Amino acid sequence: MSLTRDMVEGLRIALGESRPLPEPLAAETIEPPPKRVFPNQYQRGAYAAKAAAHTTALVGIGNVGTRYATNVVLQFQAELAVAHAAVAAELPDGWATENGLLSLKSRVTDHHEYLLRPDLGRRLDEESLALLRENATTGIDVQPILADGLSAVACMGSGMELLEAFTKECRQRGWSVGTPMAARYARVWLEDEVGETVGARVACILLGERPGLGTGDGLSAYMVYEPRIGKTDGDRNMMSNIHARGTRPAQAAERLALVAGAMLEQRTSGVDLDLSGIQDRIGDAAGGLREPQVREQLVESGP
Amino acid sequence: MRLAATIRGTSYRFASVTEVLAKANPPKSGDDQAGISAKDAVERVAARAALSELTLADLRENPVIPYEVDELTRQVEDNLHDPSYRAISHLTVGQFREWLLESTTTGSTIRSISRGLTPEMVAAASKLMSNMDLMTIGSKAEVVVRANSTLGLSGRMSSRLQPNHPRDDVQGILASAREGLSFGCGDAVIGVNPATDSAESTVEILRALGDLTTRNGIPTQNCVLSHVTVQMRALELGCPMDLMFQSFSGSQAGNEAFGISIALMDEAYAIMKEKTSNRGPNFMYFETGQGSALSSNAHHGADQVTLEARCYGFARRYDPFLVNTVVGFIGPEYLEGGSQITRAALEDHFMGKLMGLPMGCDACFTYHADMNQDELESLEVLLAAAGVSFLMALPVGDDIMLNYQSSSFHDIPSVRRLLQKRPTPEFDAWLADAGIMDGDRPGERFGHAEVIR
Repeated sequence: MSLTRDMVEGLRIALGESRPLPEPLAAETIEPPPKRVFPNQYQRGAYAAKAAAHTTALVGIGNVGTRYATNVVLQFQAELAVAHAAVAAELPDGWATENGLLSLKSRVTDHHEYLLRPDLGRRLDEESLALLRENATTGIDVQPILADGLSAVACMGSGMELLEAFTKECRQRGWSVGTPMAARYARVWLEDEVGETVGARVACILLGERPGLGTGDGLSAYMVYEPRIGKTDGDRNMMSNIHARGTRPAQAAERLALVAGAMLEQRTSGVDLDLSGIQDRIGDAAGGLREPQVREQLVESGP
Repeated sequence: MRLAATIRGTSYRFASVTEVLAKANPPKSGDDQAGISAKDAVERVAARAALSELTLADLRENPVIPYEVDELTRQVEDNLHDPSYRAISHLTVGQFREWLLESTTTGSTIRSISRGLTPEMVAAASKLMSNMDLMTIGSKAEVVVRANSTLGLSGRMSSRLQPNHPRDDVQGILASAREGLSFGCGDAVIGVNPATDSAESTVEILRALGDLTTRNGIPTQNCVLSHVTVQMRALELGCPMDLMFQSFSGSQAGNEAFGISIALMDEAYAIMKEKTSNRGPNFMYFETGQGSALSSNAHHGADQVTLEARCYGFARRYDPFLVNTVVGFIGPEYLEGGSQITRAALEDHFMGKLMGLPMGCDACFTYHADMNQDELESLEVLLAAAGVSFLMALPVGDDIMLNYQSSSFHDIPSVRRLLQKRPTPEFDAWLADAGIMDGDRPGERFGHAEVIR
């Protein structure tokens, strides 16, 4: 027997032979932990209640060891699922046509490519360009474009309401409004090519914004004077968080029309546009802060 | 210098060192978007084979952006530490990789040559490494810095508490800050991204955070991450500023898009040196992230890993207390999903540490990237195992202002427990005193935000 083999054998004996762990303890009935419900006003601690007056951040949620309570995990997973579902959603084929809109598409061919190639999402494909040239009214004051952006859910949710309200606001001001249209796989800058093609003085794209936790229904609007390929972000004005629980579509439409009016009057947009005369009436389009997203309880377990 | 390799009888030739570096890069959607990546996996390996034969001197002599057109290239070249450079310049990239991996190569030997490394050299080395190679070397390259507390010691992992608020509501910011502190977070910095980029707002938040940490005797640093020019004005108005922040890009043109230059940063550094409330000697905080140069069309045909390393070449000039690579925020058009974000995080940590920087990482994803929560939690453990200096800490990882998902108040103590890591020694003592931690275990007041006054 070698020395090493003796040592290994000795170790086996020292480490409990065929039972390297002690026998388990006898099982005792485990008391259920205190009920934790999130977010539930009357069961929250004083700290969470006080914090809630100032922030929508998830604070005062306690801990289990160093981890989350089950109810917090489920709420969080539901919020994540809502955001991911909004990103994954696509405008169904025929959605635009069914809603009486001219159906356009960018140069992107599928949803995966849409996420990876913003450059392709900024240009129309040839078919759409031909369709636009044949069917769209040209030489207009304002061209609204409804689009999916990063949330087709938002586009299908408040999109038509916002488009119709904005169109109405523009007409009431005596402006000519372009053919109603919706674009698929669209990025913000797509409004440049569309607006240039139809000869619009102002183009305004209304598109689903990048979802946040628990939200996927917000629309943003980006507006540009004299749309041309090559315009940059500094040439645009924007408004965000347009949906039923944020800035409501009717109110957003009025604010957008005020900004469009300023563009038509001053013949410019973006950083050069002076909004001081209307800044009290246009919300975050004046460069103000976005309202915090109100959290909703998403999970109710049990019957 | 030979820019070619043959694989199974097929010869691959490359036109420049920049092309070799780009094609040797592991797949990144940003390089695809820029049209500079290898056309397939075989060409990628051929580029790596060619790269492995280049010497570190070849890389110094062929920066991805020429000396004449870019001040970052000039800054690196003009300040390179010659004795360190001469110790390694003859090695090929392949030999350099092996030298780094050798058991006899320690943190202190790495430090001895660190100042002789250019960004192109560390980027090149990363391209010949697997994730575990990157972690193995990252964990060896010890970087210790000091402000009010001491960051980066062996067996330690710190965190940036990030109590952002979409309207800069100070009470809302403090509510998140207290909660985070009660989970043992915030020992690297309590750092707020402001919604309003104004000096007055920066001052207001810094004063509120200063009051909080003073009142509770918390040994950490406070920072508001407004633009550097805004922070300079805030210092003139008078406020306690422990760390001065700025985002960096990997080219002069990229930094111009951020509204900064070397001259401006030199000025900011000098003002901060005079007026900072921290005990020093380190008082700057920089954020970087692969893809930022391409996003402002300032990439000069170079790949995003090499450009990221060039941020570190710039950061090194200011002996920062914190450097944070924000890996998943930029979106899937630069880092497609979990595997690319994970890879980028480990590359950036490795490259930064090799260049002597206190590297932290905002391990994160946006909701349109192909990454899930489990992958994020796994990445946090990988980074901690690789010796990352600090991670982010947010309520449930949710940034209610910037709308993305990062590591959480609960994740930091969990990762520390898993890997036997502790916060900075100063903060550790405070946590014990406050009853938040009991040694390496949660104490009686763990998670009790109301105990922070």
